[in-house]
Amino acid sequence: MIVSRRALLQTGAAAIAWPGLRSLALAADSAAADTLVVVFLRGGCDGLSLLAPTNDPDYVADRGPDLRVRDDGAKPGRPVRQNCAPTVDFRLHPEAAPLGDIYDQRHLALLHATGLMNGTRSHFVAQDLMDRGLSDSAGLHGGGMDGWLTRLLRIHPSAAPAIATRPSLPASLGFHGASLAIPDLRSGLTLPGGPTVKPTLAALYRAASDPFGRAAAETLTEMDLVDLHLPRGADGKVADYRPENAAVYEETESGRAFRTVAQLLKMEIGLTVACVDIDGWDHHDNLAGRFSGLAGQFSRALAAFWNDAARYHDRLTVVVMTEFGRRLRTNKSNGADHGHGGVMMVLGGKVNGGEIYGRWPGLASADLDNGVDLAVTTDYRGVLAEVLTARFAAGHALGQIFPGFTPGRPMGLARA
Amino acid sequence: MSIPVDRLLLNRLAFGGNPADLTEVGQLGADRWIDSQLAPAPGDDPGMVERLAAVRLHIKYDAGEGYAAADEMRPLALLDRDVADLWPLTDGKHPMAGQERQRPRQEVAAATLLRAIHSRWQLREVLVDFWHNHFNVNAAGDQAIAAALPAYDRMIRIHAFGNFREFLEAVATSSAMLTYLNNRSSRAGNANENFGRELLELHSLGRDAYLNDLYNRWRDVPGALKGRAAGYIDQDVYEAARAFTGWTIEDGAGLGGGQSLPATGRFAYVEAWHDNYQKRVLGVDFDPFQSPMADGRKVLDLVAFHPATARFVCTKLCRRLVADVPPDSLVKAATAVWIENQKQPDQIRRVVGAIAHAPETRQGFGAKVKRPLELVASYARGAGIDATVTEGLLNELDGSGQKLFGWAAPTGYPDSMDYWLSSHVLRKRWTLVLGLTENWWGTGVFLPTQRLGGAMTAEQAVSLWHEDLTGAVADDGTVGAILSGLQLAAGALLAAGRAADPQHRRILAYCAMTPAFNLR
Repeated sequence: MIVSRRALLQTGAAAIAWPGLRSLALAADSAAADTLVVVFLRGGCDGLSLLAPTNDPDYVADRGPDLRVRDDGAKPGRPVRQNCAPTVDFRLHPEAAPLGDIYDQRHLALLHATGLMNGTRSHFVAQDLMDRGLSDSAGLHGGGMDGWLTRLLRIHPSAAPAIATRPSLPASLGFHGASLAIPDLRSGLTLPGGPTVKPTLAALYRAASDPFGRAAAETLTEMDLVDLHLPRGADGKVADYRPENAAVYEETESGRAFRTVAQLLKMEIGLTVACVDIDGWDHHDNLAGRFSGLAGQFSRALAAFWNDAARYHDRLTVVVMTEFGRRLRTNKSNGADHGHGGVMMVLGGKVNGGEIYGRWPGLASADLDNGVDLAVTTDYRGVLAEVLTARFAAGHALGQIFPGFTPGRPMGLARA
Repeated sequence: MSIPVDRLLLNRLAFGGNPADLTEVGQLGADRWIDSQLAPAPGDDPGMVERLAAVRLHIKYDAGEGYAAADEMRPLALLDRDVADLWPLTDGKHPMAGQERQRPRQEVAAATLLRAIHSRWQLREVLVDFWHNHFNVNAAGDQAIAAALPAYDRMIRIHAFGNFREFLEAVATSSAMLTYLNNRSSRAGNANENFGRELLELHSLGRDAYLNDLYNRWRDVPGALKGRAAGYIDQDVYEAARAFTGWTIEDGAGLGGGQSLPATGRFAYVEAWHDNYQKRVLGVDFDPFQSPMADGRKVLDLVAFHPATARFVCTKLCRRLVADVPPDSLVKAATAVWIENQKQPDQIRRVVGAIAHAPETRQGFGAKVKRPLELVASYARGAGIDATVTEGLLNELDGSGQKLFGWAAPTGYPDSMDYWLSSHVLRKRWTLVLGLTENWWGTGVFLPTQRLGGAMTAEQAVSLWHEDLTGAVADDGTVGAILSGLQLAAGALLAAGRAADPQHRRILAYCAMTPAFNLR
């Protein structure tokens, strides 16, 4: 098996510890491996719409009646029981109601006022920092350009390639070689042009020492790891995927992505990391309409995935994150500009769900960050660190995965 | 790997080399060829005009409520149209198939790809691609941006070699950008910050000049008290956003008092929506109640002539043209030319000229991976495939990770090789090359024996095509791999006459899948 690493070709880092680790992981019972699905809502998901403090007077005052989640009227938010801030009537957005049931089953934990301990309101700086497990932008200039998932996989090697459901990898998997970008799995991962193409290409790249040739050689290998496990009909065509428990995936970016992850999970190839990136949360205008549509698609897809994957719950954890929340007060376009604190979600069979974690800082002017945005009281890395500690026994390596991060007191989000 | 300098320049300043351009560079010499490319005649060259006129893109949809079915091969009819002509495509009350509303994007994408392959003015096409990414808009799925895209593309073509300050104002007043970054609905009161922020972060000063995690107050930013802030913080974003309130488009919006804007999609300045009070951007005070558009123009002046902008945009230009990590000496030289000529009408031409003529641009190979658009265009050019553009080829390019005018984030497509080496993009690269060679999408039957006829062994064919495509000699491993792929023994002759075409096609396609062809 070829265990090349795109990163190493480019950075020249030594390949020492790698090959052995990977075969070791393959030798272990791959079916028992835990799977981590990292969902990144790109663009800055409005946490105040996703998990709304519906009766907070500042929320009511700063967001017009049509731009906030209501606790009354024709489409009220979906209430959630919680001990985080007992006087606040937190509700999920009505379109996110499918997640409420999973919350009630105590599989889903919610976190408010989470994010970067860094004041950036730039999408691209914030995403870069989070993808790389950093807080301080000085870290972006030095080395350390690999992602936090790359570092996790370095200490916790995976039998299967890491998966991204978009055409390319997120920076959280930056420089991780054994990876596949699979926007759609329905027709498999074959090559066009007949059966001679693949062996020809394999021969063409066999001796390559440049980044293109090495990546190409590796892709041919990784494709086989998935493609050869795909159930096929007698005609050689990939069999239609049939979700369990009457789960339905819609033809949306979210629907396709979660269907692909479910399909890979059930192939039992030892999937350890899957990255689901959902675009389109940058709602500078028409917040109410645009958020409803996207949150509905996303929530239905995540709930479908959870139901479809019921047999895997005990070794499945899903983390949902975003680069920042949005401004409390809406703008004249009926949208909300870039803000600070946002919402994270952790979903899994070993997650202590049914609760809102973290400290709710409130929305009074004096409590806002820079006087305008929900503050951040929980470092996003604290959330990730708890998941990695409980589910990947990575507690000893947190300093390596999240450079410069010192874990605080555990919140008890997940268990081993 | 070593390749001839002429080839290196054509990889960097053109969409690869074709036989005619290689000959021209050889005859003129690199410097005179560069100078001719820096001064293209306005508009398309005559050959290009003919090719554009010959394109037919299939459009097909079923009948819907209020409109009839269509199934026709339609020419490119929207490229010259004013935004007002196309604005009816955005009218939701007028029943119409979605394909009609997206048609302008499809046509601009087709023209872009065709020009990349065939235009005589290759350097201009390379720069137009650069600026479309620098000033990215996403027309896929947005009817208004799609309707405004032909005008936006023409605007970019006008300014591609022009003055950056003028360019910025043309972008800031374009219907496509006003829609994409929401400034069209920004009003005094709570301004929409989207455009103000991305103007600073992506169009001008760049994210390295975003000092928000270092300073909380504008006066703390180095240089701010002297009116020369070294960078910007959120307070500058808020103020810049206020400066652009009232910059909008005629989209039928109500103005109060029973009046409303006409619905033409064209730029408009609405004084009543402008925040007239005093402002401070980058440490510079703005007096209240300035004349119409003066506040926004002053912001454009401040950012266009800011040293961080010179450095940021020049770095991006060098990255696009030369290397993912461009030589610092080259960036410095380009930046100096940028600043020295910032009031010149052909500022950008001078900067690009400095980069194109620089010694650093004639050295090194393999510091970039071609993006899919470059791959397709350089393959058709290098192999001499007389390709036209079809909806099938465009669909394939859409799925390759580089959907033209369809990138969601305002950053434009990534310009470093990591993104373009994902397994998905690699699979699509192989598909694009094979499909173009074997005419899977009706782009044209390719008969290689018309260019390279006569009896020859398979090794000879591999060597000839490899050198034609890449300028480099194929090594034994490459020759051996391709021969095994064709199940030909060493020394075997290719079939006689036209019967060799399928063999040549496969050889060519494999040569185009080599690192030597995919790197540049």
